[in-house]
Amino acid sequence: MKLAAINDWLMSTSLSQLIQTTSWAIPGIQVVHIVCLATLFALALNVSLRVAGRGLAAEPLASLAGRFVPAIWICLAVLLLSGVLLIVAEPFRTITNPVFYLKMSLLIVAIALTLWLSSVARRQVGKPTPFHIALATVSILIWAGIIVAGRYIAYADHY
Amino acid sequence: MIQFLEWLQGTRLAIAITETWFPLVESFHVITMAIVAGTIFIVDTRLVGLTSLKLPFTYISGRLLPWTWAAFACSVVTGTLMFMANAATYYENTPFRVKMALLVLAGLNMLYFQKVTFRTVSAWDSGRAPSAARLAGFISIGLWCAVIGFGRWIGFVVGAE
Repeated sequence: MKLAAINDWLMSTSLSQLIQTTSWAIPGIQVVHIVCLATLFALALNVSLRVAGRGLAAEPLASLAGRFVPAIWICLAVLLLSGVLLIVAEPFRTITNPVFYLKMSLLIVAIALTLWLSSVARRQVGKPTPFHIALATVSILIWAGIIVAGRYIAYADHY
Repeated sequence: MIQFLEWLQGTRLAIAITETWFPLVESFHVITMAIVAGTIFIVDTRLVGLTSLKLPFTYISGRLLPWTWAAFACSVVTGTLMFMANAATYYENTPFRVKMALLVLAGLNMLYFQKVTFRTVSAWDSGRAPSAARLAGFISIGLWCAVIGFGRWIGFVVGAE
């Protein structure tokens, strides 16, 4: 099967070999991944709360989103990098795992919703509509779903 | 002690968690932990002077820490449920013990900050915090990263990777 060939090739690369043979590498990369996901989730939660007029509400939405959304992208960049390293080290955990593809699909939706929320924030909409609040809520639920799917990658029986 | 732990992991609830609910409880633990650590990082980076400098410290902390505490309560519940599933093993597990000790240290750091450093907050609320306050912020960031690290390590010794 093609995925099996990709798995073997990835595992034979020198980067994969290096991570596999360094005992602390995988736990270390995972901790970076978890610290960044915690930061991203708290930032996204605050953007969504602010859209609904709660949380850090004294600061205008445009200003808060202007500070928090770029920080979300930085966290996401580190998450993608650490995630790629984990895949390269142990591709068999993910590339044949349907839960991993569910997580990536949810991630695309979460990125689209974050882009949309930040564009709403930049346009300085006066009062958020129920529609804005609903989508802000959905975006947080999707980020939470990404976390759940991420954890289930370790449990999904996919061999 | 060990008898109590063995009784605990033999309860109907503990067996149901072991057989069915562990991954879901663990996922919720990660979500609530993310809110705890993430909001603490936002407050601490303001305290050490890296972010949100145009806003008063008490505004950021007052608005975020209620969420931190609510999520922490949920983390304790989900953490206890996970502990029940394998009580005797976790009790003997070194990363688990280190994590609990680090949580106590994080609590003591917070308590000292609240009782001593925070008393002068009116003098520095809108500006740069004094060294003692900034030190508390750096210690807190470090301790919470370590809590996450040892928390992850528990799973490498007990249970799923």
